[in-house]
Amino acid sequence: MVIALHAIVLPVLYYGLSLVVSHSHGDVFIQHVRTLSRNIADELELGDSLESPRRLADVLDLAILNGDGVYAELLDNGHTTRSDLSANNVHWPGRQDYGFTTGGSGIYFIELPISRPGHAAELRLGFDEVPTIEQIHLAMRHTIWALSAYLCVAVAVAVGAGYWMARPVVQLKQIARRIASGDYVQSLRLRTRFRELNELGSDLDNMRNELVGVNERLRAENRERAAAEGRQRQLEIRLRHRQRLETVGTLAGGIAHEFNNVLLPIVLATELAIADAADESAVRLDLEDVLASAYRAKDVVQKILTFSRDAGVPVLEWIDLEPVIHEALRLFGALIPATVDLRTDIAGPCPPVKADAALTIQLIMNICTNAYQALRGGQGVLTISLATRPAPGPGPDGISAWSGDHVVLSIADTGHGMDAGTKERIFEPFFTTREVGVGTGLGLSVVHGIAESFGASIVVDSTPDLGTTFHIFFPAGPKPSAEEPVSQTHEGANT
Amino acid sequence: MKSVLIIEDEAAIRRVLTRVLERAGFIVRTAENGDDALQQLRAAEVDIVITDIIMPKMHGVDAIKRIVKEFSRIRIIAISGGGNFGITDYKPDAITTSAYLAAARKAGAHALLTKPFQTAEVLHAINLATSDTRPH
Repeated sequence: MVIALHAIVLPVLYYGLSLVVSHSHGDVFIQHVRTLSRNIADELELGDSLESPRRLADVLDLAILNGDGVYAELLDNGHTTRSDLSANNVHWPGRQDYGFTTGGSGIYFIELPISRPGHAAELRLGFDEVPTIEQIHLAMRHTIWALSAYLCVAVAVAVGAGYWMARPVVQLKQIARRIASGDYVQSLRLRTRFRELNELGSDLDNMRNELVGVNERLRAENRERAAAEGRQRQLEIRLRHRQRLETVGTLAGGIAHEFNNVLLPIVLATELAIADAADESAVRLDLEDVLASAYRAKDVVQKILTFSRDAGVPVLEWIDLEPVIHEALRLFGALIPATVDLRTDIAGPCPPVKADAALTIQLIMNICTNAYQALRGGQGVLTISLATRPAPGPGPDGISAWSGDHVVLSIADTGHGMDAGTKERIFEPFFTTREVGVGTGLGLSVVHGIAESFGASIVVDSTPDLGTTFHIFFPAGPKPSAEEPVSQTHEGANT
Repeated sequence: MKSVLIIEDEAAIRRVLTRVLERAGFIVRTAENGDDALQQLRAAEVDIVITDIIMPKMHGVDAIKRIVKEFSRIRIIAISGGGNFGITDYKPDAITTSAYLAAARKAGAHALLTKPFQTAEVLHAINLATSDTRPH
């Protein structure tokens, strides 16, 4: 921009300056030679030079010697007197010059009439224009040098100033590009001498901050959405699992009820028949077998009803789980070989939980039985632990938040573990991975029913080949010894 | 000799229970449903009623309420193991054996029995009911 401006202005300036210089030098030259010529003419008119050829020659020589004269002659009454100092090759062009360098000969010719009585004379003088022209050229060269120097300085200053002024803008541009590529860290605030730029930087930085905030919000929302979708999926899986268990429970419960109606006449009729049969008779022994089988069927039905939560209302009281665990282990320990390392890990006094002690013992023994059967070769470690999980925290399923403290009973084994498909189905009645006849497949169904009746949740962690842990999350009651255990009164079944 | 009325829709249970109680020395009548039972109670002297709870036509709990209202001196034993309802009618939270029995107790039953029970249990329940002197 600056260079373009100078490209237009400088030639015009140069042209103007050259006109002024050449005219002023020309004017000075003409003024000088005309004054000199006039003085010589006055000398000729007023003195007696015209009368003496010798003096005339001196005056004409003076005209050459006093300036840049190259030619001097006097035409008097047809007689021409020429200075000996005149250059040889210079001739009168026929008329005088009226301007500097107008004659084209490089010599300025002046013609002056000499008015003296008795004479019709004309003084013709010629002055060399070349020295003046050279002076003009020298001045022009100086002008060019000055203008060139000015141009260089101007361009340098313009470039420097431009760089100085543009630097913060370039800085802004670079930061803006980084922001566009996702790097929001650097501030856009500037510290320059230009208040406007500082304000612009400040405004842009405010926009950046806004952008950073919006981006953070969006990221947080995305994370939250992804987490929510994950939770939703987990909940759906759990819901489906629960619904399936409920459906199976409903079905099992319905079948169990039907069986009860079938078993009642079998039991009663067999008892009647036994009463009629002779002691030690074969019929009586057969009938006793029938009765024993009917009782076994009754037990199976009872377990199914426990799973479907129809085994009667459990007696819920605030109980401490620790003595219950010890009682269950005392019973269980008697049933298993010494190759099993039975450990307990009770983390201090835990708050009481609302449960039925007898059913809790059954729950622990059923899980322990299952764990024992998972041990390879009947060898391994069974760990029963009890701990308090204070609120707030993730719920028993690891997803939903819970509001109150929980007491967690965990039973871990070092057995063969389960795959996901097995884990999904372990609480279904009659689901078993063991050989037919080894178990009824009702043990864990009963565990599920008991936990549900306590309002407790079961979470199962299992890794194939490493082992399985059952966690039962009991909602915690009042702090230990804060309240005497209160019996839950219940009305109804006295069966 | 005490007389017993069995209200039960399952014929097999009616028959066997009749024999069990007759052998124990009771005079036994049977009814298939609540309406039939009320008619028989009006016609004959009965000391003890053993009634199922889930039955067609009249629900056992309703039958108990009407018996208590009309014949306050009769002792009542409620029995239930569920049974006569389809899977689609089953509502786990609302209808359980214990809930039925609790409702029967509230309606005025003196003793409760869960199917299947043994001879000794039903005789014990009858003893319990006849010795229960609390008013309805």
